[in-house]
Amino acid sequence: MNKNHIIGVFDDEDSLMSAVHEVKEKGFEIWEVFTPYPIHEVIEAMGKKTRFTFAAFIYGFLGAAGVLAFMYYTAVIDWPINYGGKPTNAFPSFIVVTIVITILTVTLASLFTFSLRAKIYPGKAYILPDARSTDDKFVMVFDKSKQNSGSGDLESILLKKGAVEVYEKELQPQI
Amino acid sequence: MYKTEVRGPLILGDKNYRQISSDIIAPIDQPIPNWWKAVFGVSMLATLFGVYAIYTTLVEGIGTWGVNNSVGWGWEIINFVWWIGIGHAGTAFSIFLLILRQKWRTSINRAAEAMTVVAVGCAALFPALHMGRVWMMFYIFPYPNSRGPLWVNFNSPLFWDFIAISAYLLISASFWYFGMVPDFATIRDKTTSKVKRAVYGFFAFGWTGSSREWLRYEALSYVLGGIAAVLVVSVHSIVSTDFAVSVIPGWHTAVFPPYFVVGAIFSGFAMVMTLMIIIRKIYKFQDYVTDSHLNAIAKILIFVSLIMGTAYATEIFMAWYSGSTYEMFTFFKNRITGDYSFQFWAMVVCNAFIPQLFWFKKVRQNLTIAFIISILINVGMWYERFNILITSLSKDYLPSSWTVYSPTWVEIGIYIGTLGMFVAGVLLFFKYIPMIAISEVKSILKVTSINKNEKTNASHE
Repeated sequence: MNKNHIIGVFDDEDSLMSAVHEVKEKGFEIWEVFTPYPIHEVIEAMGKKTRFTFAAFIYGFLGAAGVLAFMYYTAVIDWPINYGGKPTNAFPSFIVVTIVITILTVTLASLFTFSLRAKIYPGKAYILPDARSTDDKFVMVFDKSKQNSGSGDLESILLKKGAVEVYEKELQPQI
Repeated sequence: MYKTEVRGPLILGDKNYRQISSDIIAPIDQPIPNWWKAVFGVSMLATLFGVYAIYTTLVEGIGTWGVNNSVGWGWEIINFVWWIGIGHAGTAFSIFLLILRQKWRTSINRAAEAMTVVAVGCAALFPALHMGRVWMMFYIFPYPNSRGPLWVNFNSPLFWDFIAISAYLLISASFWYFGMVPDFATIRDKTTSKVKRAVYGFFAFGWTGSSREWLRYEALSYVLGGIAAVLVVSVHSIVSTDFAVSVIPGWHTAVFPPYFVVGAIFSGFAMVMTLMIIIRKIYKFQDYVTDSHLNAIAKILIFVSLIMGTAYATEIFMAWYSGSTYEMFTFFKNRITGDYSFQFWAMVVCNAFIPQLFWFKKVRQNLTIAFIISILINVGMWYERFNILITSLSKDYLPSSWTVYSPTWVEIGIYIGTLGMFVAGVLLFFKYIPMIAISEVKSILKVTSINKNEKTNASHE
C-alpha cells in the first residue's frame, strides 16, 4: 500500500489554527482540512473564495426577468382576457408572483450550484481521511508528493503544535 | 461583531464535541420507546379518520361540509390559515435569527423547521380539497395546455396563494434538508449499524466537512437565509390578500397583511415553545434547550402578543372611524357582541391578554404554565381565523342571506386528520432525524459555554 498522505489529527480549533499558520509559514502545502463545523479562519487560510453571492444574484435577475416575460406573454400577447376592465398588462399585481418565483429560482438554482461546486450529491464516492472529523476531531491532510522538504519535519511541527496523532495513509474513495 | 452577555451560556453541563454528537444522536440509536409507539398509534388513527373524511368529501362532494351559499369558506380555510401560520415559525426562527446572528437559534432551528415542513404540508391539503374536484387541480398550473392554451389569472390572490404555498413548502424543505446534511454525515461516521450507515450515508450525499464544502455551505446558507427572509413576510401577506382584496366587511382592510404575518409568527413561536418544552422534557435536552432559550421565546411572545392586541384594537377603531355602517355592524354587533362573541373574546383573551403573563419571571420559569400558555395561544389563533372568516361571511350586506354556520363531522374529521398527520410527522422527526443541529451547536460551544477557556475569541462574526 502506498501511504501517500500525511494526516494530522487535532483536538481543538486553537491548536489546529496555530498548526495551520505554522505549516503555511514553513512552506508546506495543505491538501485539505476537515472540521466538524465551519471555521472561517481555516477557510481563509486555505485561500479559497466563492462567487456564490454573485451567482445567486444572476439567478435572481434571470428568474425575475423570465417570470415577468412569461406573464406578459400569456396575459397580454397569447390570450388577453378582460378581468373587470383592468389593463391586461397589470404590472402591480404581477409583482407578487414575480417575487415568489424569483425566490424559488434563486433557492433551487443555488442548491444545484452548491451540489455541483461542493460536489455533494447522492451516491457520491467521498474521500474522508479520518472518520472522526465529522464528530470531534479537526484533521489536516498533506499530499506527500507535493512537499518540498521532508515529511519528518512536517510531522514534528504538527506534534509540536498539539496534534494528538500524526499518521500516513492512502486515501481511497468510499461509497 | 457586537457581543453581550445577556444570554448567558447557551450550552450547559461542560460538554465536549463528542458528547454533543452522542447526546443528540442518542434517540436515533435507542430502541423506540413505548410512549412513542402509543402516541404514534393514536396519531395514525386520527390520520385514518381524516383520510376517511377526505374520502367522503371526494366521493360525495363538498355538500358533505357545513358550508353554504353565504358561508362559502368554513373550517377548511380556517384550518388552512391556522396551519400556514404555525408553519411560519421555522423560517422565522432560522432565517431572521440567522440574519441577526442570534446564536441561541442553533438549538431550536432544526425542530422549528421540521415543524414548518409538516405544518405547511397539512395546510396545503385544505385548498386542494376546497377546489371540490381535486383531480382537476392541474388546471391551476400555468402550462401550455390543450385548452387554448388557456392561462391562469395572474391577478388573482388565489393563484398567488397557490404559488406562495408551493414555493414555501419547497424552499423550507430544501433549507431544512441541506442543514441536515453535515449531521447525517456525523451519524454515518459514528454509527455501528450497517443499515444506518448505508441509509444516513445515502442522505449525507458524501459530505466530509472539508474546507471547500464548508465554504460553499456557509455561502449557501446566507444566500438562502437572505432571500427566504422575504418569504416569511410574503407568504402570509399573500394569504391575507385572499381576504383583503374582497369587499366583505371586516376583510377589506389595509392592516391585514402585517396583521396576518405577525399572527403567523405568533402561532409559530407558540408551537415552537410547545415542542421545545416536550423535547426538553422527554429527551432530557435541558443542556441544549436551556431555561434561557425558553425565556427568550417567552419574551418574543410578549412582544408579538402586544402587536396582536394593537392589531385587534386598530381594526375596531377603524370600523368606527370609517363611518361605514357595515363595518360597524360587523365589529360591534357580530364580533364583540352577537352570535359569535364567544369566539371573539376567546381570541382576544388567548392572544392579547394571557401571553402578557409572561411579563412575570415566575411564569416564564414555570414550564407547566408556559406550556399551557403556548397551547392557549394556538387555540386563540384558531379562534382568530374563525372570527375573521365566519363572522364576516355569515352576516354580510344583505340580511336575507344571513345564516349561521356549523361544521359537519367531515370537516371536523379532516381537521383531526391533519392534527394526526402533524403529530405523526413530528414523532418521525423525533426518532429519525437529529433534533438539534449538531454542527451548528458545536460551532457555538466555544463562545458560549462557561467552562471553556476564554483564551481566544472564537466568534468569527
